[in-house]
Amino acid sequence: MMKRILMMCLAASVGFAVLQSCEDRLDLTPEDERLTADSAFDDPDSYEQFLAKIYAGISLSGQEGPAGQPDLAGLDEGFSNYLRLYWKMQELTTDEAIIGWNDGTIQDLHGQVWTSGNEFIRTMYSRLLYQVALTNEFLRQTTDAKLSERGVEPELRDEIQVFRAEARFMRALTYWHAMDLFANPPFVTEDDPIGAFLPPQIARADLFEWIEGEALGVEGKPGFIEDMAPAGAHVYGRADQGAAWMLMAKLYLNAEVYTGTMTQSSFTPGPARYADALTYVNNVINAGYSVNTNIPYSHSFLADNDSNGAQSEVIFTIPFDGLRTQAFGGMTFLTHAPVGGSMNNVATSFFGINGGWFGVRTTPTFVDKFPGDVDNGNSPDGRALIWVDGQEKDINTVGTFTDGYGIFKYRNVDVNGNQGSDTTGDHTDIDFPMFRLADAYLMYAEIAARGAGADAGTAANYINILRQRAYGDTSGNISASDIDLDFIIDERARELYWEGHRRTDLIRFNQFSENSVWQWKGGVQPGNATQVFRNIMPIPETDLSLNTNLEQNPGY
Amino acid sequence: MKTVFSALMLCILLVPAALLGQSTVKGTVTDQANEMPLPGVNVLIKGTTTGTSTDFDGNYTLNNVNNGDVIVFSYLGFVSQEIVFEGQSTLNVAMREDAAQLEEIVLIGYGATTKQDATGAVEKVGAEEFNKGAIVAPQQLIAGKAAGVNVTAPSGAAGDGGSIRIRGGASLSATNDPLIVIDGLPIDQRGGSQGSRNALNAINPEDIEDFVVLKDASATAIYGSRASNGVVLITTKKGSANQPLKLEYGLQVSTRRVANTLNVLTADEYRSFADDPRFDTSTLGDASTDWQDEVFTTGIGAIHNLTVSKGYENTNFRVNFNYASQEGPLQDLYERVAFNTSFVQRALDDDLKLTLVAKLIQDSFDYVNEGAIGQAARFDPTQPVRNPDGSFRQYSDFADNAPLAPANPLWQLDRNNWNSDQTVQRVISNFNLDYKFWFLKDLRFVLNAGIDYAENKGSRFDRGNPNNPDAVITPETSRGLNRNTNLDFYFNYKSDVESINTVVDITAGHAFQEFYIESYVNRGGNSPLEDTDINRNALESYFARASFDIDNRFLISGIWRADGSSRFGDGNRWGYFPGVSVGWKIMNESWMEDSAFSNLKLRGGWGVTGQQEIGPNYGFLGVYTPSRNAAANIQFGFDPAGNPVFIPTLRPEGFDENLKWEETTQYNLALDVGFFNNRLTASVDAYYRETDDLLSFVPVPAGANLTDLLFTNVGSVTSRGIEFAVNGVIFEEENFNWNANFNITFQDYEVTNLSLSNDPDFTVPTGGISGGVGNQIQILKPGFDPTTFFVFRQVYDPQGNPIEGAYVDVNGDNQITEEDRQAYKKANPDAFFGFTNNLNYKAFDLNFTFRGAIGNYVYNNNASDTGNFNSIFNQPGYQANAHADILNTGFEGQELFSDYYVQNADFVRLDNISLGYTVPMENVGLRVSLTATNLFVITDFDGLDPELGGGIQNNFYPRTRDIVLGINLTF
Repeated sequence: MMKRILMMCLAASVGFAVLQSCEDRLDLTPEDERLTADSAFDDPDSYEQFLAKIYAGISLSGQEGPAGQPDLAGLDEGFSNYLRLYWKMQELTTDEAIIGWNDGTIQDLHGQVWTSGNEFIRTMYSRLLYQVALTNEFLRQTTDAKLSERGVEPELRDEIQVFRAEARFMRALTYWHAMDLFANPPFVTEDDPIGAFLPPQIARADLFEWIEGEALGVEGKPGFIEDMAPAGAHVYGRADQGAAWMLMAKLYLNAEVYTGTMTQSSFTPGPARYADALTYVNNVINAGYSVNTNIPYSHSFLADNDSNGAQSEVIFTIPFDGLRTQAFGGMTFLTHAPVGGSMNNVATSFFGINGGWFGVRTTPTFVDKFPGDVDNGNSPDGRALIWVDGQEKDINTVGTFTDGYGIFKYRNVDVNGNQGSDTTGDHTDIDFPMFRLADAYLMYAEIAARGAGADAGTAANYINILRQRAYGDTSGNISASDIDLDFIIDERARELYWEGHRRTDLIRFNQFSENSVWQWKGGVQPGNATQVFRNIMPIPETDLSLNTNLEQNPGY
Repeated sequence: MKTVFSALMLCILLVPAALLGQSTVKGTVTDQANEMPLPGVNVLIKGTTTGTSTDFDGNYTLNNVNNGDVIVFSYLGFVSQEIVFEGQSTLNVAMREDAAQLEEIVLIGYGATTKQDATGAVEKVGAEEFNKGAIVAPQQLIAGKAAGVNVTAPSGAAGDGGSIRIRGGASLSATNDPLIVIDGLPIDQRGGSQGSRNALNAINPEDIEDFVVLKDASATAIYGSRASNGVVLITTKKGSANQPLKLEYGLQVSTRRVANTLNVLTADEYRSFADDPRFDTSTLGDASTDWQDEVFTTGIGAIHNLTVSKGYENTNFRVNFNYASQEGPLQDLYERVAFNTSFVQRALDDDLKLTLVAKLIQDSFDYVNEGAIGQAARFDPTQPVRNPDGSFRQYSDFADNAPLAPANPLWQLDRNNWNSDQTVQRVISNFNLDYKFWFLKDLRFVLNAGIDYAENKGSRFDRGNPNNPDAVITPETSRGLNRNTNLDFYFNYKSDVESINTVVDITAGHAFQEFYIESYVNRGGNSPLEDTDINRNALESYFARASFDIDNRFLISGIWRADGSSRFGDGNRWGYFPGVSVGWKIMNESWMEDSAFSNLKLRGGWGVTGQQEIGPNYGFLGVYTPSRNAAANIQFGFDPAGNPVFIPTLRPEGFDENLKWEETTQYNLALDVGFFNNRLTASVDAYYRETDDLLSFVPVPAGANLTDLLFTNVGSVTSRGIEFAVNGVIFEEENFNWNANFNITFQDYEVTNLSLSNDPDFTVPTGGISGGVGNQIQILKPGFDPTTFFVFRQVYDPQGNPIEGAYVDVNGDNQITEEDRQAYKKANPDAFFGFTNNLNYKAFDLNFTFRGAIGNYVYNNNASDTGNFNSIFNQPGYQANAHADILNTGFEGQELFSDYYVQNADFVRLDNISLGYTVPMENVGLRVSLTATNLFVITDFDGLDPELGGGIQNNFYPRTRDIVLGINLTF
């Protein structure tokens, strides 16, 4: 009997002990390198690393290079990269590029026949708003109150003020992309919570005003520009006032588009802001950036474009590295995807990569913008990095890589032809020049051509700097009288093709949807003009059905 | 009771001789199935208390028998036999196991009931009903055996197991695997070990006594938050009390060959396209190689089982040693070495029973590069396997600059070029204490302490594509640890309260279980990575059950469980899961006495169960993830020496503070009938199930969270079905027995809502396919089955051939856009069935099981991806073979979304046929058997195999056809 009572006691105490110990054991937090929000900021380096994530938002696709732990899950990780998607939106939709792959609805981009169900448009939209949410979180985590609460040292706090300005710039940059592509995106700031709420939609003109206010300051809130590092003197890869001025210049240059009114069949421009654009273009031009006419145009797009001299004109760059900054989007895509056909035979020796992806080519419309015998690879303009060997000029079949000339602008070799740091040839060292001085020169010339305050003679000088680099001598120089809007839009194509500007430029010149054709536009071989509402991308169907605050853009 | 019985026996033995004119009869009682003696069989003269029982050797002596007396032989689990005594001096009896035994004990989770008192949808499949063959995966034992339980056949890969779906599963994004409980220890639903192809392989099939499948919520609710997909209770063999030493040895030797291969162009068919101007004939070889034939060989397997068991009065043990090896046709290898032990100790006049089960398992997988399956279908069939110099023929030998070309599949299978192995060492152990209180024998205390601990270690080596001169070797080592600890206890009170003529059975208890998973990986190559992931989650639970059997006519049972999960935040941490079921034993009504029925019972139940197996452990908590490797850094400036400075990034993760349980409500209504003394029994179960707050990976409103897709509670699905099972003894003669089981399940699923906004038009694409990146062929759409295909409607020419690119303009807008894609057919079957027959003739036995499904469709991705000219000509730098469907369609390019590729895949498969012979021998039991699995499939589907869980056929490791020779020896 004694034994039994002992047994009972034992069982009872075991039971009691179990009940006691369980309750707390349900409060579990990560035990590996993941951190809770509270513990993440114990490390003073975490602020810079979080800022790095915001910059990496453009170049990388997740937390593991080149793929793994993706930021976005709605599309293949390599396809969901910011730069890759932005490039596709800006280039595949135009005469500069066409892609032969049959990944989902990718060919609808060039055809301008996309619907609100297009997954590339959807993921671009997700990526933009993700980047905004990321920045909002950074701003929430770095308020004075939070920093005081965590007892952050004064020197670090000063540094964090610059971080915050850069984060706000990066958010403004992304909202500019969102405004440019989707016109009326959802709008969230650091004042909103995280969670399943429905963000309100902001009208394009209001977003324009908000970006302007963020940069320059509105009552009670200083603008981010003043807190940023001086132009041209900042840490490579990070944004400074030069980048911010460039953003402002682009905002004002496109003001008529951004503040205008779109309907299904017509577009009414808003007021022009060229004078404001000129102010910021001049700020940039006078900030000390320079185009070295002794360095060939092609060097700006090589593996060593951070150090071969061409970097002197770069205002804002997205750095990549073959070993340390790996992603299947970004420059890996921009270098591999255009290689195919006979280019593939020199994939390693000429392109510095292990093989082409047989995807992107260009249209005859673009090729014809260059003078000389381009069909035989002879153009006096050194910017015509056009591959004709084994390629047909006309695109009869979208899926056939050899239909349409190739472009060999981005190559993962240095000026001496040596392959980049990744010897396997997967990933590249080329840094993407998001803003460079040539763009500012062309913007200046455009303002002159629009008769909006810039000096035509100065404009010609600027253009001739670019053309001397392009031609290697003065043979391509122009005079002030040559500068008109038709020249500007074509010269922008020649100078800035495949750098993510074309769609915005064509819309500003009203040649994106109406008033222009190129092969396979409209989904037919000879090309068809499309309706003006295509100047704005549709709000993705998925978000429309989720977020009842959103209204679809006209025409979709 | 036992003492009363003993006293009775004593009386019988002491009283005898006084009476005259009586005889004595002797004999041996054996088990008809294996001719082994049966100890402990009751032998009784009908209508008297005169009787005895058999000894250890099955012998009995019964005195005082009169001519004309009826002698009754009875034994639990066997059909009782009645024999009229006509003066025989020896009367040997062979007893037959009773498949439809209603008194059979059935586990129901934290307790047991009998089949006739069960009110939920509970199905038991015992060892005698198991599928035969060289089975390494336990779930294959019950494939086709139980209504509502769909166990898919495994692929041909060594050690593969196939999936278990009970009533189809209840979730979309969370797991659809049932909870598996082994000897009282709930196993981690993620498998319990890493690196294994089928974590359930840790259980030796030979070691399993029975499976009990809890299907409806009124039964599963006792497992609360993990029970939505049903529960499978596995009991392993334990040996029994007072059992003579028994030594068993079993050997199964098998050969495995793929049953079917992909239909690709032969070398001659491929050559026939050489006239095409696009065809680069310079690369054409003069060999004719069937690459699939080259890669698939015959796999050999062997399973040894050595078992020793013995029972004493108070203790019994069973020790099993198992060695199994199974080779896949690609020469991949699975090996298991397992040591399974069980000890039972009874003490305190049988009031205390201690059971210890301990299994030590080593599972080893030697994987091969299964990419070779896809490459074999693509490699130029005109090329020889090897170059004249003996090296493997590669595209780089005959095509310039084709770094993305397929590798020679035999080169890939060479372990010098690709290898991967994983060894899992695992202990699964449970200690059970079952104690009856001395002051109240009806009250028991039961305690389970269990651990499932696994360590795995592996390596991987990949030389990269041989056609790419820049390819780098990617080596990888990995190791992991899984630990699942469980402690539960409960009190059970069961008593026949005569005053109210009711049997009361009440259980209440507590459980705590913790899961800890650690994974380490160290990968070299071009993007080195070294990382350790740690995940811990825990569940705390309270549970109770009360069952009443009123007047042996009415059954009422109620279940309640509360679960707290570490995966949810404070406010949503606890979930409550009730269940109620009722039964009416109509058979026991007085007015049923003379009916034709031998059993008639009506059952009904309702219950709520949960789901919390969602993958992420901290989904309700905002966490930050640093860069996982140095390849995910970005440049911030240069150091003073001019070198770039790279810094890691820190990412805040998306989260949903309000994450909560997924809840499934299920209704079950059933009828059990029996005729001819239960020689013929049948059950019909109808169920309706609704899952709400589905844990789904769905889009969030852009900008509102730190991700685009989030695990959150969204949407609902319903499913309904009817399960019908019939068991019958068709023949029951002295030398010939035949019984059969047929079960069929009709099911219907529907997504009823999907989005945060309850938008009926909101759809989610699913079912990724190859051919372009990110293409998906299925759709989740309210009103449709979750495996519904989403396709264009193909237009055909008058000859019935598909016209490339011509689709039905469904919305009539004169263009073919996304809007014209339609929901069409589905991968889930309308019905699936199993049909098992067991025949015995003298010493021969024959078992076979058919399994099949109706109304299921498969998308032939192999054909849609490569059954076109583009896949031959338009490849980056090379030409490759095409799917032979190109001969039917002549398609130039991929028409991935054509409904042409969605094909009916109804099938009937002879899963298993086994012929055995029990060699009549003294003292030794010897049975030899010959088994064939997957002998044939009857189907109209012209692809590889009609049975593909997800409904998409794409480079699937083909199923094998196995021939198995088995020998079982018992001493």
